[in-house]
Amino acid sequence: MHIPDGILPAQVCAAGYAITGLATWYSLRQINSRPDPTAEIPKASLLTAAFFVASSIYIPVPPASVHLILNGLLGVMLGYFAFPAILIGLFFQALVIGHGGITTLGVNAAMMGIPAMLAYHIFQSRHTLGKVLTEPTRTGLFAFLGGTLGLGIAALIFLALIIFNIPAELDAGAERAAILALSIAHVPLALIEGLFTAMLVLFVRRVKPELLEG
Amino acid sequence: MGVASHDTYLHRESVIHRWSPRLKLVSLLVLMFAFATVRQPILIPWMLGLAVGLYLLSGLPLAFLGQRLSYPGLFVLALVVLLPLTVGDTVLGQWGWLTLRQEGLEATLLIVGRFLSILTLGFILLGTTPFLTLLQAMRSLGLPTILADMTLLSYRYLFEIAAMLATMQQAMGLRGFGQGRQRWLRVNSQALQQLAMLAGNLLIRSYEQSERVYKAMRLRGYGYGVKRPKPSLADQPSPLSWGLAGGVLAAAVGLVVAEGLLRP
Repeated sequence: MHIPDGILPAQVCAAGYAITGLATWYSLRQINSRPDPTAEIPKASLLTAAFFVASSIYIPVPPASVHLILNGLLGVMLGYFAFPAILIGLFFQALVIGHGGITTLGVNAAMMGIPAMLAYHIFQSRHTLGKVLTEPTRTGLFAFLGGTLGLGIAALIFLALIIFNIPAELDAGAERAAILALSIAHVPLALIEGLFTAMLVLFVRRVKPELLEG
Repeated sequence: MGVASHDTYLHRESVIHRWSPRLKLVSLLVLMFAFATVRQPILIPWMLGLAVGLYLLSGLPLAFLGQRLSYPGLFVLALVVLLPLTVGDTVLGQWGWLTLRQEGLEATLLIVGRFLSILTLGFILLGTTPFLTLLQAMRSLGLPTILADMTLLSYRYLFEIAAMLATMQQAMGLRGFGQGRQRWLRVNSQALQQLAMLAGNLLIRSYEQSERVYKAMRLRGYGYGVKRPKPSLADQPSPLSWGLAGGVLAAAVGLVVAEGLLRP
């Protein structure tokens, strides 16, 4: 779900870089306001590499398989480090496997990073429910919401960008129908991503709860 | 995902290899954006010609480009393959139910032309500049320290973590993972749980390793506020570097101006 070079016009690429610059600046400001920002850099860096590698895990859905994006999970676990982590991960993907692109790096980072930051805030709001639900249920439920919405919103942005920028003469009705059809097709993927995120977060909560404190 | 392959740098004795990294990065990025502005089909051969010319100057083998274009090329092809058959009113030819349309064909040529040209420039940049030199050039151009440190550390451990995942997946396979009967279009919840635990284990192992890495870095003075020397790209750009940068930037400006003049 990366937009390659050559698809989008230069204005959209430039706007993507502007949004990414703003989001990176905001994330770095939040990180620098912590008592010891350097202490978390190794953790965030190695987890960035681990997320990049983990996104190559395929979920078997016979006769095919789907691969995960994990942007919601990144937000849930890395907090404000999620946006820089996604930017770096996409930079590596463009370098190592030519997946995505250099001119579209800003657009791709904004498309995946902003929903990741949203997923972080959704996950943090699990404490607001107080004692309405038990702690593991709350953690699992909000991780599921973070994972599902993280991918769901990114998929919507991706589809809108592709459909509004590719066809030369496609009429508005056809564009709306295509977005609707493709969005519906992405719902099961978002649910799988949410389920995977909830399972992983509950596993980490049992084995290494301090990883969820970011 | 091919994360097992290392640096994309290929050593050669070309002018592009000798080009100052900072000037090369800025010039090629500007040219990539100039390519992204192209909308007139008449400019496609010029754009491709510039990319091919620079690639020939770089001395990189054709196989290098061929290998790296195949994966993203398939992705772009999947996105645009239907355009010449579905978009536009001007019919160029008809074979039974297949209709080739001019507007769709032009849009496809434009997207594929821009994609090939931009990607070729990207591979010239990476094939002629070692990753660490590229990062140093980015730092000297103002990349924030946190981003530079994170990029370096992630890159340092990326391949180690990829090898760790491969070992874990092999161990799962040897213990029978994925051998059972699978129903079509169904996600096996047990398999999903096991894969979530696999990814969770990978994250936990990476986290534990990061704690050891941090302690080692602290012992070497990391985070004590020691002022780091500004990355010295000691090599002051040579006249050749300035000349190349000037030529590439002039080509970029020329393309943008031509696009503006040709636009109806």
